[in-house]
Amino acid sequence: MKTKVTKKGLNRRTVLKGGAVAVGAAAGSGAITGFPTIWAQNIKDVTLRQFGTGVSNLNEVAKKVKEDLGFTLKMTALDSDSVTQRAATQPKSFDIADIEYWICKKVWGAGNLQAMDVSKIKNYDKIVGIFKSGKLTPTSTIAQGTAPHTVGFVEGPGGKRFADKETGWMTLIPTIYNADTLGIRPDLIKRPIDTWAELLNPEFKGKASILDISSIGIMDAAMVCEAMGEIKYGDKGNMTKAEIDKTMQIFTEAKKAGQFRAFWKSFDESVNLMASGEVVIQSMWSPAITAVRSKGIPCVYQPLKEGYRSWGGGIGLSSNLKGIELDAAYEYINWYLDGWVGGFLMRQGYYSAVPETSKKFMSADEWGFWFEGKPAAKDIVNPFGQVMEKAGTVRDGGSFYDRMGAVACWNAVMDENRYMVRKWNEFIAA
Amino acid sequence: MPRTDGVGAWLQITPLMTVLTLFLVVPIVTIAVVSFWGYNEWSFFPDFTLENYEYHLTAKVTWQTYLTTVKYVALTWIFTVVIGFTVAYFLAFHVRSLTWQIALFLVCTIPFWTSNIIRMISWIPFLGREGLANNALIAVGAIDKPLEFLLFSDFAVILAFVHLYALFMVVPIFNTMMRIDKSLIEAARDAGASSFQTLTNVIIPLSKPGIMIGSIFVVTLVMGDFITVRFMSGSQSASVGRLIQNEISLLQYPAAAASAVVLLITVLLMIGIMMRFVNIRKEL
Amino acid sequence: MGDKRGRGFYFLAAFFTLFVLFLYGPVITIGILSFQGPKGGLTFPMNGVSVHWFWNLFEQQAVGDFWGSFSRSLVLGLIVMMLTLVISVMAGLAFRKNFRGSSVVFYLTIASLIIPSILISLGIGLIFNIVDLDVHWSTSGLGAHLTWTLPFGLLIMFAVFNRFDKSYEEAARDLGATPWQTIRHVVLPIIAPSLIGVALFGFTLSYDEFARTLLTAGSDNTLPLEIFGMTTNVTTPVLYALGTLTTTFSFVIIALCLGGVALLRRRRAKFGSDAGDGMA
Repeated sequence: MKTKVTKKGLNRRTVLKGGAVAVGAAAGSGAITGFPTIWAQNIKDVTLRQFGTGVSNLNEVAKKVKEDLGFTLKMTALDSDSVTQRAATQPKSFDIADIEYWICKKVWGAGNLQAMDVSKIKNYDKIVGIFKSGKLTPTSTIAQGTAPHTVGFVEGPGGKRFADKETGWMTLIPTIYNADTLGIRPDLIKRPIDTWAELLNPEFKGKASILDISSIGIMDAAMVCEAMGEIKYGDKGNMTKAEIDKTMQIFTEAKKAGQFRAFWKSFDESVNLMASGEVVIQSMWSPAITAVRSKGIPCVYQPLKEGYRSWGGGIGLSSNLKGIELDAAYEYINWYLDGWVGGFLMRQGYYSAVPETSKKFMSADEWGFWFEGKPAAKDIVNPFGQVMEKAGTVRDGGSFYDRMGAVACWNAVMDENRYMVRKWNEFIAA
Repeated sequence: MPRTDGVGAWLQITPLMTVLTLFLVVPIVTIAVVSFWGYNEWSFFPDFTLENYEYHLTAKVTWQTYLTTVKYVALTWIFTVVIGFTVAYFLAFHVRSLTWQIALFLVCTIPFWTSNIIRMISWIPFLGREGLANNALIAVGAIDKPLEFLLFSDFAVILAFVHLYALFMVVPIFNTMMRIDKSLIEAARDAGASSFQTLTNVIIPLSKPGIMIGSIFVVTLVMGDFITVRFMSGSQSASVGRLIQNEISLLQYPAAAASAVVLLITVLLMIGIMMRFVNIRKEL
Repeated sequence: MGDKRGRGFYFLAAFFTLFVLFLYGPVITIGILSFQGPKGGLTFPMNGVSVHWFWNLFEQQAVGDFWGSFSRSLVLGLIVMMLTLVISVMAGLAFRKNFRGSSVVFYLTIASLIIPSILISLGIGLIFNIVDLDVHWSTSGLGAHLTWTLPFGLLIMFAVFNRFDKSYEEAARDLGATPWQTIRHVVLPIIAPSLIGVALFGFTLSYDEFARTLLTAGSDNTLPLEIFGMTTNVTTPVLYALGTLTTTFSFVIIALCLGGVALLRRRRAKFGSDAGDGMA
């Protein structure tokens, strides 16, 4: 399979190169006085340092950047705590921040990122509505929590406050997102699961797990409490102290009763818990499901009637970026949205912010399986050559619109965040 | 003593002092100062507030966590002392040649050269429901259902601590035992003491300094740990170190600093008391 | 102690064996699992048997950079080792004289040992942040590691000099050697084997240090940090393959060190001293 991927790359490289040169020329003539050729020479010396979680900080992307754009992208993959930390406190250690929207809400005020001019983003118009108006389709309702569009725009170049509509200045360029739900082991549960409430079902005593990242975990907890009918939230994404107390109380009781086998904080932990059979139901991320399945162990990303908890990530530019580095960064962003990365990520089960450009980089079968929710005609293989799904299977949850259309809430940073974090820590220590 | 000796000594000690000042004294002073600062979601700023301490000292979670941590310290200490003493005794009095002693010590240290984190992850397949331990126990018929408490429990945490720190007990005890004058033991035997009496009346009292030094290691290492507790309890249990680590990861540096100051005082008090019973410099 | 091995010996030998088995438990698990088949995971059951993951270790990973971080850890470990060695020996020599303020220095060193690592990490991270310096593994990281290795180095030096027979030095001095000559030609050769111990300690403690590096490494990861970062994304036994390889390496290095000690002892036999025998 590896060779096949490379071959694809080769075929498209020629196409892309033409595109890149065109973009390069455009950017060059605008920003730099001099000949595009000189600019093209200089850009080879540019090195951009990017950091983010392991989800999208893939070495493969850096390699492709070197091939297509000529400059060097240095990737550092970190856990989500360190990502937040670096974005907030070490502005000099990066040029490009690959972060989630809730992290953006936390750290934007630090002033380490600069707003981006959407007029320089070629594919801006094709970015899905979720990131602009909050609506997937014009008729969709907006989900609760820190929805990307609420922290996606600022008033102007130096803006510190988030704007509530499209302004032409974006905080993060959306790159990757997905709808999360509970992962289950159907072979060990042996009955259908259709609600978040099952996480605290005593039937799974000692075999359940939840993730220990407060901003994400609290949302899973809220989905569960709401599904159980225990709490009716005004806004899950912005809870009151009383709602936080009640939620944590329900979970603390469950913990003391031995409901949870463990909590997980990193991707691999969730995979190990599931693959080893320590846990049969837990909050999980989609690539973790595929990782379990690729070991030949049945694992389902169970769609639930209450809907999904969603997350989104994007790339932001360091406020230190200027001159040719800034131009290179814009070029990188345009390249990012141009489809190759999108296809690369979508073939791992994530969604691209500009799905239609990614389509060119996926086979019809891959597109059908990952995006349209159709049965796979052939075995579905990920970009690294591993078989992800056998022919005939259908993606859990169905098509893009079925999944992203059923998002109930986004990972969130609340007004009462400090209070929530304290309560969460007490829950962990209880 | 000639004056030049003093100057020479100061010159010789300067590198050590420089490192300790820059990377120990200054940072600790910084922590103390920052513990009074204020913070928001993304940064911290000079201020004078007691809120960090107020929350830390009044929250129930702090006291619970200290209780758990002290429990871990006590249990780990008991196991490491018993194991450490026994192993050191074997190495000091039953292994006769120095070469063998060195070789056996090295055998004990090799596992520590593999990254701690990799070793930590590997406890899961060792102790888990389908792990080596459970499968072995089922195979020999000792149990018919996997033992759940082996992993993600206090048992697992203590086990990992003992695994990590037993050697810190073995080495100092072995060191003091090697200094025991063998003629004392012979004298005791000649006077008609049984081996057990020799052990309790001669060897244990004379090994006390080593036990103390080992205990200082174990107590401080367990008090400050955050990663072992996270991995082995499956994040279900908190230690003081984890509390601080959590605050750090949430960028609440001043809060973390306040917790750190409290932990520091606690550890210094504990060690201060222990140091009264042993003169480390003399006993090495 | 008589020549016959008593019951006590066999009991204790059995206990020691169990202890060693206990120490090796994780290493054995890692060893077995590193031979997982290409579809195997980090946990049992085994999914076939292969050496796939050892090869995989040398290929580019999807995320992270094993070898970059490994070389950083190696370089850092070696720098820490050298500095620990030099600074500890100098400090050890200083402590043999009764200089003013020696007890302050001593307690400071002990404090460096007992203050939880996470605090050192936090403190150094904070001060660098406040004075607006970039944290980097070779500056802040190096300092953080030294606060951990130096106390061990110094304690070993205490142990060495407590056993040191001063008459050799006096003899050298009587023969007209300068203080430097005495150190160079008498003291250092005698304590040399223990210095290997200090060096080993310095390297090992630094190479595997996690907590103190956490907030002091800056944008480039050391190996333990990289492995920790990779656990957020890597779910394959490639981590175990790395573990197995490290253990194998350790055996080789220790064998080399043992050889070195044997060599030194043979050389030292000329001096006829057994100073420093207790350590290694």
